[in-house]
Amino acid sequence: MIRPSRGIVLAAALAVAAAARPSAQGRGGGTPQLDLSVSPASISFPGADPDVMPVVAAAPVIVTVRVRQNSGPWTLTVLAGGDLIAGSATVDITNVSWTATPAPPFQNGTLSKTVAQTLAAGTGNVNPAENGSVTFRLANSWNYSAGNYTQTLVFTLSSP
Amino acid sequence: MLVSRRLLVTVIAWAIAAPVARASAQAATATLSADVSTIAKLTVSTASASFPDADPDAVPQIPTSGGPVLITAKSRGQPGMQVVLTVQAADDLRSGVNVISASHITWTATGAGFVAGTLSTQSPVTIATWTGSGVRSGSQQLYLRNLWTHPTGTYTVSLLYTLSAP
Repeated sequence: MIRPSRGIVLAAALAVAAAARPSAQGRGGGTPQLDLSVSPASISFPGADPDVMPVVAAAPVIVTVRVRQNSGPWTLTVLAGGDLIAGSATVDITNVSWTATPAPPFQNGTLSKTVAQTLAAGTGNVNPAENGSVTFRLANSWNYSAGNYTQTLVFTLSSP
Repeated sequence: MLVSRRLLVTVIAWAIAAPVARASAQAATATLSADVSTIAKLTVSTASASFPDADPDAVPQIPTSGGPVLITAKSRGQPGMQVVLTVQAADDLRSGVNVISASHITWTATGAGFVAGTLSTQSPVTIATWTGSGVRSGSQQLYLRNLWTHPTGTYTVSLLYTLSAP
């Protein structure tokens, strides 16, 4: 048996729940279905003479995005886990940039270790899936220490 | 009473938890790697330098007629590595059977890391040292010690410049 006063509290709780759910459902009547893949998962810059190749390009990466049951905006971001690291040596991750096609929804940018950078964005569904070709480039420099540098990139597809 | 409280707690918990459980995001990771290789490159502004004839009393140290040799050293190596630029004479200065010791050639230098020195046929002589990767530039002004005792002639010698980063 629920007393009237408890019933008011319960109704308020239900109202909070009702208000919260649409924002989590992508305004499409259901939870957005998001699919993301990155291939290959290994992106490599070959060694090069900075005078001959001031910018070193890696092989293109195919980023596949699929968005369903979504009527709101969606965003694909990329965030570096830190600078490029080889032992005690580092190369600032902002020396890595990318070009991406097709634009839109894909866009060019520069990697960051602090703020996720937008790689693609749109509204509604992307169905069938769309493939973006992303070419990462490293600004080559004589000032870098020699070494095999690595870092992890996290790609995140979200529909807020 | 107890049932209603439990129901209330359950509903509130659901209301708070539901948005988190339904968050829409997918993540993928990739590994970025860069092969930064060891490399060195040395540029000397001229392949030949000459000392003009001069009166030993008036010009005891003859500078090269073309002015200083401009040197650019580019190197990339391990962190903290020592980069060394040296020069060594292949032989003494020779003009037929006449010989002037290579040690009669000296130099002054400008630029960070550059030092003055005296040429040798026996071992490489340091022109400059640096630490770590980078691009460095400087100049080397060569001089010939002019003596009345030098036999006349046109003398030549080859110099070998070496940039190394062990």
